[in-house]
This record gives sequence, C-alpha cells and structure tokens, in this order.
Amino acid sequence: MKIYINADSIVTPLGFGTQENLAALCSYRSALSAHTTSDVADTPIFMSEFNDHTIRLESKILNLESQYTKFERLVIMSITDVLNQTHIDLEDKSIGIVISTTKGNTVLIDHTMESQDGRVSLWKTSDRIGRYFGAANRPIIVSNACISGVSAMIVGKRLIEAGVFESVIVAGCDVLSHFITSGFKSFKSLSANRCLPFDARRDGLNLGEGAGAVLLSTDMGEHSVQLAGGAISNDANHISGPSRTGYELNLAIQGAMREAGVAASDISFVNTHGTATVYNDEMESKAVTLAGLQDRPVQSLKPYFGHTLGASGIIEAIVCAHELRMGTLFGTMGFEKPGTPMPLKVLPEHKRMKMRHCVKTASGFGGCNAAIVLSLPQYAKPELETEPAAVRSIKSISVFNSQIKVGKRIVFSSKSTEYNVFIREAFKKLADENQKFYKMDNQCKLGYVACGYLLDNVNFEPEEMGIVVMNAVGSLDTDLDHERIISEQGDAMASPSVFVYTLPNVVVGEICIRYKIKGENTFFVSEGHESEKTMKYIEKAMERANLHYCITGWCELIGNRYRLNFNLLENTNYKK
Amino acid sequence: MEELIEKLKGELIAELNLEEVTPADIDAEAPLFGDGGLGLDSIDALEIILILERNYGIKIENPAQGKEIFYSVKTLAEYITANQKK
Repeated sequence: MKIYINADSIVTPLGFGTQENLAALCSYRSALSAHTTSDVADTPIFMSEFNDHTIRLESKILNLESQYTKFERLVIMSITDVLNQTHIDLEDKSIGIVISTTKGNTVLIDHTMESQDGRVSLWKTSDRIGRYFGAANRPIIVSNACISGVSAMIVGKRLIEAGVFESVIVAGCDVLSHFITSGFKSFKSLSANRCLPFDARRDGLNLGEGAGAVLLSTDMGEHSVQLAGGAISNDANHISGPSRTGYELNLAIQGAMREAGVAASDISFVNTHGTATVYNDEMESKAVTLAGLQDRPVQSLKPYFGHTLGASGIIEAIVCAHELRMGTLFGTMGFEKPGTPMPLKVLPEHKRMKMRHCVKTASGFGGCNAAIVLSLPQYAKPELETEPAAVRSIKSISVFNSQIKVGKRIVFSSKSTEYNVFIREAFKKLADENQKFYKMDNQCKLGYVACGYLLDNVNFEPEEMGIVVMNAVGSLDTDLDHERIISEQGDAMASPSVFVYTLPNVVVGEICIRYKIKGENTFFVSEGHESEKTMKYIEKAMERANLHYCITGWCELIGNRYRLNFNLLENTNYKK
Repeated sequence: MEELIEKLKGELIAELNLEEVTPADIDAEAPLFGDGGLGLDSIDALEIILILERNYGIKIENPAQGKEIFYSVKTLAEYITANQKK
C-alpha cells in the first residue's frame, strides 16, 4: 500500500500557506529576529514569533471566535487550508486527524488554579479542535518531544496501512511562552544570534512558532509525493543528551530506507533536525555517516523557521516534498565553516538538482529519533513486504491504590496511601541500584517501577522491543511544578531537572535507558487506553518496525492520584 | 572553608535529589561527575550552575567553564570563596 502527501499547509511568521513560506525561503528570508522585549521571555531572545495582530486578522477571515487559544487557532488555520485544497469532509468516519505537539496549550497553565479550566489538558485541546470541524473522529495527539511531527506522520501512515482510516490529516503545532523559553534557557541551549547548523561557530538553537498540516491518503494525484518509509528508535542513553555515537538515529534512518526500498545512493538529500546545538549536530553527523549518506547533500531549515518543536517535523517535511517537486535544494543559510566530527556536505546556497528521494530526520528529549523517506512517485521502489503481526499479551501489570499486580497476582502492596512512600518502597523491593530513580518526576517513577516488575525475567535484544505509552494529560503534574517555579521566582530560576520532565514521552525514555530498549517508542494523549484504534496501530507498528515485543498501556499521575496498566505484547510471527 | 564544604554537600543532596546519600558519603576531593562517585550528569551540572546563582550570586554563562570548577565539592567551595558576592 502506497501512502501519499496530497495537500499541505505551512503557517509560520513567514506566511500563511505553503506558497508564501516557500517564496520566503527562495529569497533567503528568515522568520528569526532579535526581540529585546517580548511576552514570552524575561530577557532578550532571538526567535520566530507571530505578530498577534496578523493572527487576529487571519482568525477573523476564518470566523474563529476569541474562545480559541492561539495554539488552537493555528492548528485550525492549517487544517482548514488543507481542507480547502481537497474535497474531503472531516464528518466522514473514514478520515482521521493526528495532532503533534510538545506542549499544546501550555500558555494557559496556571499553578494557582488547582482544577484548571480544563483547556490545558492536551486531550481537551484535541476535543475542541475536533468539535470545531464537526469531525467524526476525535484527533489523536502524539507528544514525542521534538520528533512529534515526524512521529505523527509515521502514525498517520500506519493508521491508513492498518485500515483504521482511509485518509489522515496530520497537523503539528507549538506556540512559545515563558514556560518553553525559560526551560530551554535553563538548558543553556539558546543562541543569541541566528542559529548556524553544522557550522564550527554554532552555539545553540532559536525557538520558533508555527503550524503545519498534511493530508495523507492512498490516492495519487498530479502533485503527490509519496511517504515511502518511516521508523522511530531510542538512544537508551540519556533523557536530554543525544547519543555519543549516532547509532540509534542511524537505525531509524536505515529502517525508513528499508521500508521505502531505497539505498543510500538513491537519496537526493538529507533534511536533518539540525538544531545547531553543539551536541545535536555532532550526533547527526555521526548518524548520517553510519547510514552511508555522508556524500549526500545535508540541509537544516532551522535558520529560516527556528525550532518549531512539535510542528518542525511536519513543516520541514512539507518543504522537503516541495524541494523534491521543484528540483531545488534550499541552502542552510549562514553555513561557512564545517564544524562536525564527521564531515557533511552542507551547502549555504540554494541549488538546482535532479531529485528522486529524500530522508527527513528528527531527534528529541527522551532519547527518541525518527526518520522518514519521501519519494517522487515516478521513482517509487517496490515497498518492503512484511508479514502481518500476530500479537498476544504475554504479561500485564497494574499499579493503583498502593498496590502492584502482575496479572491477577499482587506482587507488592504498601500500607501507606501516600504515593511518595509507596513508590519508594516498591522501588526498593526491586533491588535496583539506579540512583537516578530519585531524580525522576512522579509519573516517570510510576512507569519505571512498573517496568521493573513487568520485565523481570524477560529477555530481548534492544532493537526488537518497542514501547507505546498513553495518558489523557501528558506531563501536567510536572508542568505545574515548572510553571510554579518561574511564576514565583522568575524565568531565570527555571530548573532544567524539572523542565526535562515536562515532556510526557520522557517516561518512555527513562524506561528505554534502564532496560536498553531501542525499538519504536511513542507517546499518545488519548481519552482511554487500549482502544481498538490504538491496538490496530500497535499491531501495524510491530509488523512494520519488526518488533518481537512491545510494552504498551496507560501511565498517568496527577498529585496523589495515579493509575498504570501495561501489557507486554509478543508478535508470534516475529522473525529476526 | 570546612563550613562551606558541609553546607555545599547539604545543598547538593537536596537540590540534586541524592536521596540515598548522606553528607558523610561525599568525599570533598572526589570527582562529582563520571562513573563512580556521585555519578552526576549534564543536567546536574546545569542545576549546580543554578545553585551558585541563587545561593551565592555567582553567574556562570558558559557550562564548559564549569568543568574545572565543578570537579569536586572542594574545587566548588574554593571557587565560591574567591567569587562570592552574596
């Protein structure tokens, strides 16, 4: 089954709609600039931010009432633009929506409101967007840190392959706020000037705002570009620092190329994450080399858009699709002096090229990496043939009310009703010496301890195990902690060890590090666990990513309330 | 200096969530980072920068500069004594 990108929209400060954005790129225009004062940071910041006035005007055209947040308006605008290019109707049950974001409505977070106004929860956000369109299917949210956009495209592809939907709209968005800028500042990862990916002078990234949306379907039209392959891996090394070897991103690239049936020599160019932090670009240079792509032109679009977080994968993939069709490779603006341990072919200027296929990658906190292959349909290769997975649950675990059950058997219970006491006792019983447990936030401790019991006596190779986790609120518990610190003490006191846990997929990262899991890893925000659609997705993921096992289920904690249900699935059709 | 070293040990334990560690477990001259010792990582280094700023009024803009300063509790204490403003 071949899946195509059949309509697309980019909404950034460079323009509303893909054409305006491409025109800006053609003339080397960047959305990035120095802001000495702003509503989203205490100190001067170099970033790409929407002019509120522009958004208001555009919203008026769409009749978006003020009840919608900036995040929601941007997602609605990009999806509306895609719908206007097609004849599909979201009231149709065969059409799904996948939204990728790292933080959604975080701008609304206020720690002083114990119960919240409901809108900050990622799940409520997706509900509001679905209702706006009268959509038959509530949008599924993928929150996989900075790979969210690329992840979500892979999810969209697999949902179609699994027969869950006939077409899927994949939309990504993030907006900036004190919440996000203070966190990145605490990581010392922001540059005071326009970022310089892969350059020896690079000293950090620039944050940016934006939204992007694509329509994926099996129809092939005149302007279609094939989403030919996709794969996700985990470093299993550190929750914030990238792999020292690049081996795992290389696994994702090779997985995506295998699915697309292409060899390194077929690839016209590689669009990397290229954030311009010292360690990200270093890791990517190693991964690109390991994947045999070191002599292919390499590009980063961050100097134009900044790092648009959950939107970046989609916005940049759309640009890639148009580069293939236009026969133009956009230059990595500003690049002068090579500065990566493995040399890469980075070009500062636009270049006319014969195009066939390209690779788009992303890497993010929680150690996750993703890669997709986009192909011009006339050069499409026979796709990878795989045998459908035969999936069964071989073990299950639940954690609730100070009690841990494996199957129906109680393996641990505490007299204490306090989560903090219970989870420490449960951890001690595991005889796990990992002192990093004490540094984790409470939701991570929950997932981490559960896997200690679930994976006891289970043997597997790193690449044959995957993990897909869900909840309804993302990382809200720690989001509130981070917001409390910056609102009480100022942005400068933001704590990196708190901020890193404001990404829900970090629980997956912690489990991957401890148990050396390098296969597909994804975090969904949804209303209920193990729904039929997610199960079909997981079965397809196990088939396409060739997983022998997959941990999947629900992991949620807010304050002293928590619930976890994980299943360990086995694909009995697995062949090495 | 001894007093500052003890104070720093307490701050590191509290701020870096070293729950199983007591001040007596920390050798003031042993390396803080890398395998063995306290096994601190890059996020801990950023947290130590915050401790210096919040509690001692010392700003370190470039994390790379921290390598020698953060070698051990003793080197940290020496740096604070030489640069303290609060």
